[in-house]
Parts: sequence; C-alpha cells; structure tokens
Amino acid sequence: MSSSAPTLQQKLNQLRQRFIEQLPARLQQTATKWQQSRLSAEAESRLAPEFHRFFHSLKGTGRSLGFERIAMLADQGEELLKAMPDSAGHAVNDINSLIPELFQQLNEEIEYLQSQHGQQTVLASLNSVEFSSVAPQTRSKRQRLIYLCDDEPDQVGQLLHHLRCFGHEVVHFEDTESFFNAVLTRRPDAIIMDVQFPQGNTAGTETLTSLNKLIGERLPSIVLSSYGDFYSRLSAVRAGCNGYFTKPIKPLDLMLAIDELTIPLDEEPLRVLVVDDEPDAATYHSLILEEAGMIVQQVNHPADALSALDRFSPDLLLIDVYMPVCSGEELATIIRQQSAHIGLPIIYLSSETDSQKQLSAMTAGVEAFITKPVTPDELVSAVRLRAERLHLLRSLMTQDSMTGLYNHSTTTDLIGKTLAQAYREGSQHAMAMLDIDHFKTVNDTYGHLAGDQVIITLSRLLKTRLRISDIIGRYGGEEFVVLLKGVNAKRAAELIDELRHDFELVDFHAGGERFRCTFSAGISSFPNQPSTEALRLSADQALYLAKRQGRNQVVISNEDDAKGKAEPNQPGAKKQ
Amino acid sequence: MQILVVDDDPLACEMTATLLEFQGYTTVMANDAMEATQQLDSLDTIGLIVSDMHMPLINGIEFLKMLREQGVTLPFILLTGDSPDSTLMQTPGLNACLQKDAELESTLGNAVTQALNG
Repeated sequence: MSSSAPTLQQKLNQLRQRFIEQLPARLQQTATKWQQSRLSAEAESRLAPEFHRFFHSLKGTGRSLGFERIAMLADQGEELLKAMPDSAGHAVNDINSLIPELFQQLNEEIEYLQSQHGQQTVLASLNSVEFSSVAPQTRSKRQRLIYLCDDEPDQVGQLLHHLRCFGHEVVHFEDTESFFNAVLTRRPDAIIMDVQFPQGNTAGTETLTSLNKLIGERLPSIVLSSYGDFYSRLSAVRAGCNGYFTKPIKPLDLMLAIDELTIPLDEEPLRVLVVDDEPDAATYHSLILEEAGMIVQQVNHPADALSALDRFSPDLLLIDVYMPVCSGEELATIIRQQSAHIGLPIIYLSSETDSQKQLSAMTAGVEAFITKPVTPDELVSAVRLRAERLHLLRSLMTQDSMTGLYNHSTTTDLIGKTLAQAYREGSQHAMAMLDIDHFKTVNDTYGHLAGDQVIITLSRLLKTRLRISDIIGRYGGEEFVVLLKGVNAKRAAELIDELRHDFELVDFHAGGERFRCTFSAGISSFPNQPSTEALRLSADQALYLAKRQGRNQVVISNEDDAKGKAEPNQPGAKKQ
Repeated sequence: MQILVVDDDPLACEMTATLLEFQGYTTVMANDAMEATQQLDSLDTIGLIVSDMHMPLINGIEFLKMLREQGVTLPFILLTGDSPDSTLMQTPGLNACLQKDAELESTLGNAVTQALNG
C-alpha cells in the first residue's frame, strides 16, 4: 500500500462520517412513513417489514461502526416492533408514543454526534478503543479517570475535592443520561454512582446494569445511596457493583475503596537480562519473554553483563552456556562472587543434553538448566517462577509494609545512586523532608488506628501526586523523604506546598469524631548539598525551622535559598 | 479470487467490503439477492459470498438455499444484526454466521480464512 492510500481506520472513519451524515434523512423518511402507517391497517402491514429492516440495519451497521448508543436505541425499536402484532389495544397505544420517542432520541444522538465535540470524541475513542487491542494510556500510571454520577450537587463537592486532591481526574454528571453517553465515548477507570434519581428509586444501578450489558464487561463501580435497605443493596449487587456506601459518606473511605478497585497490586513487569553471544538467539528468547509482558534487555558479550546488571537491575539472568571469551558457568561464578548479586536467579540456556555436564554447570549456583530448543511456554514459566520469587523477596526487603513506600535503607540507597548519576550528568535534584504535625497528639487523642490512617493517606497522596520517577520513602514514624528529580529548591517547595494545602483539607474520621492534619516540610537541593547525608541534614534543618515557625509550612534550607536565608515558602501560609 | 458482498444497506455493504479489502481480498458488491445472482452469472472469479441476513424480498438464508438448489457450492458467510441463534448457524451449507458488531473486522477475517482453507 502506498503511503498516500488511506489506512483502514481512515476509511472506516469516512464511513462513520457518512453514516452520521445520511442518518437524519433516513430517520426523517422513516418517521414520515411511520405516520402514514398509523392511518390504516393496510398501510401498517405493508410498511411493517420496512420499519423492521430500518431498525435492524441501523442496529447492525451502528454496532459495527462503533455507535453503540444508536445500536442500542435501534435494538429497542426492533423489540417494540416484534411485540406489535400480538398486542392488545393499549400496547399499540404505547407503540404509538414509544416509536416516535425513539425517533426523537435517535435524532438527539445524531445531533450529539454531529456536534464538534461529540464527533471528535466518538471518532477519537473509536480509533483507539474499539478497533485496537491496546487502549491508550494518557494519564500517569497512578492517576485514574473517575465518573461520579449524583444529582445532589451539595453532597458531591467534598468528594470531588478529595478525589482530585489525590490526583484523579473526576468528571461529575448530574443525570444518568449524560453519564451513559460519556461512558460510551470514553471509558472511566471507575464509577461512583448514586442509586436514586428522579426517574426512579434504582435508576442509578439500572443504568449501570444496562451499560454493562451493552458493552459486555463489568465496569468497576461503587454505589452511593441514602438507603441501606435490602432492595437498594440487591439492585447494586445485581448491577455488579464492587462497593456500597450509605450517605453521608466519609470521602477518605470512598477514596481508599476506589484505590483498591483500580490500582492493581504492584504489578511491575519482571525484568530479565539475556546474555547470549548469538544476537539472533538472544532476540528470539527476548521476544518470547516480552510477549509474556516482561521487560528484557540483551547483552551479546559476557564482559558487558556486569555493567548491564547494575544499570538494568534485572529480576533474573538468562545465560547461554556456550559462549566464546567465557562460558556461562564462568560468568555465573563471577556474578555470584559479588554480594549484591548473590540472590539473583540465573537460568542456563543450552543445547547441552548431557546430564553430567548439566550437573557440573549447576555447581556455579544456577537455579535451572533449560535445553534448547525451548518451547515459549516452557521458557516463560521457568523464568516467571524464579523471577517472581526474587521480585517478592525484594519488595519485602525494600518496602515499608504499612505504606508500600521505600523503607529507610532503600531510599538512602536509591538517592545515593541518583546522585552518582547526577554528578556525571550535571543535573539538579531537590530533597524534601516531611513530618506530620502534632502526630503524637493524633495518636493520643484518636488512637493508633487513626494515626495509621493519616500516615497511609499522606503516603498515598505522595504516591499519586508525585512522578513515578521521584523517589518517595518513609524514613520511619511520621517522617517521609522525597527526592524530586530535575527540579530546583524553589520549584520543589511549590510542589510540596500544593500537597500541603490539599492535605490540610482531608477529613479524617475516628469513631464519631472528625479531624484534620497538617505537615511541615524542609527542602534542600543538589548540587548545593553534594551528598545524600548533606541533603538530609540541610532538609532536616529547614524542617526544624518550619516546625519552629508554627508548623504547616514549607521552608527551603538557607544554604539552598537564593536569598541566602531561610523563610517560609508561602508567607501567607496558615499556621497551626 | 473475489468476494461477493451482499447487503441492502449500501453503507453496510461498503463497510464489509472495506474490511475485506484491507485484509487483502478484492470485492464485488450487490444490494440484494437478485443483483448478487446477476454478479455470480457474469463473473466466474467469485470465490466466496458474504451476505447480510435481513434483506427485502429474499433474505440471506433464502439466498443461500436458492444457491445450493442451483448447485452453487461457493463458501457462504452470513452476517446478522442479531446474536446468531444456533438453528440458523446449523443451516446446511453455511460456513459461518457472524454478528455485526465492533469485532467484525477480526471475526470476518477469521471466518473467511477458515472458509477458504477448510
């Protein structure tokens, strides 16, 4: 195909465009005929097949072209017509009003699709969603698109604030109709749905049920309701909802439920380093593993393996046994001699079938020996089994169990590595030390569970709002450390101050009581402070100053401050 | 080899043809069974038929039966707006019965490959 020829997507989009353009005339024509058919029994039976065909064709073509709502309305029309010949008088009366109503709804849908916005979003979403196996990931890994459908605006203000405060994109709908259309054009990661609407006591859950049926999948959803009765709950269960909250809602509980629903358990892909002197073989094995969702790097010379290990830090090493320069066995021994790589799983890959030779190779401390040619399934499962074990062990070793943030030693280690690289690149970074204000009072007044809730919330706030590349660690107790990469002290202070402002508005609940918390922060920067320790000391001093000046503020260390003296980043900052 | 696409909705007909053309086939279109019969009579390059079910006068399944009675044994794939029911799918001589939906691009591609190779 030449480069100027249209792609399938372009061609289908042209057809979609024409479908939308032609539809009003077709609809008009059919509506006129419908009126005629109402005049006599003869006209009715003569025209009946035509209406049936109209709706049927609209359903099939609409669905094939991705206009799901049009297809759904057409399906309703077809069902109505099917019921028609057997109906008694009053059913026919229903039809007399229902079919024109359907025409009207179809017209409205076309108008929506024809509007600049509607058309663009539908076409864009069709391009990326309906005809491609991979949906685009435009938001950061931790941010979510959440649809909140509730017709009581006064109740949702606080909810919106909390969800947005955690970096989520939240769209609010006041009626189920606009919510329905929005889901069809752009799928959210999660839905928060009110049960009761003016149209009915369970209109919210009914909308979810029909949506799920229409799109053939269960959308992650949480239901809000003023009622905790059996039938309201039953309607939510039947709609496939994942959670049920009765009003008034504690926003933080809802937020945590949304997190549970949308954030998969740390699903970082496994990393595999392939060492093979034959590039073709290395590429073949890499492809198999990549196909299974792993991140793979290949090295074609054993001498490059060590630096690749440091740079790439894989969860597993796949080594070809027979290589020039050094054998796989020798390479494994070299790697095992270094304490940093003692736990790294190593798998040999070889055409060697002599079990005696295999056994001798194993003495270098490898986990498994796979003989070539290996089937893709066998390779993937051998690698996954061993790499996952290390992956899990590593996360237990490096993460703080309550917050999932890096623990003290890992944070220090990672910051050290980043600084070593920053020296070479001449880049700048900023460190922030954060400490929750009056944390002891929180524990004493509201109990340790409430204290834990505050710590978890701040850690989630940091995780969702900062970049994935930033290093976020819990230094112990109520103290956190963050390395913001590539920014200066001033910018870091602005970013942390935004978080400070949002955090002070989060409502915590303990028993029947409600309370709020604040944090103070100190900022230092590299290369003003040339080492991890110097950064920490400097940030700590600034944090101390922030506390002394009244807490709930961000202070830049005086050695880092352009003006040469420490002062609150926000002169108007509220003091506790 | 060409594929004959039969559908009374010109746009739907074109869409099906487009999907097939992007999979490397050449197509001929007809807007009803009568027109399709004329195409079959005049072209001997047609190797497969993809027809819509709901069409005026002669529907897809009647068209298939008509062809089989006339001794035409070309592979025949039926498209329908409904979810295909089992009795329809078991119609003798029918290679596949597919629902018109957003997956049509892949389902049709597979069905054609299967019909031509099987």
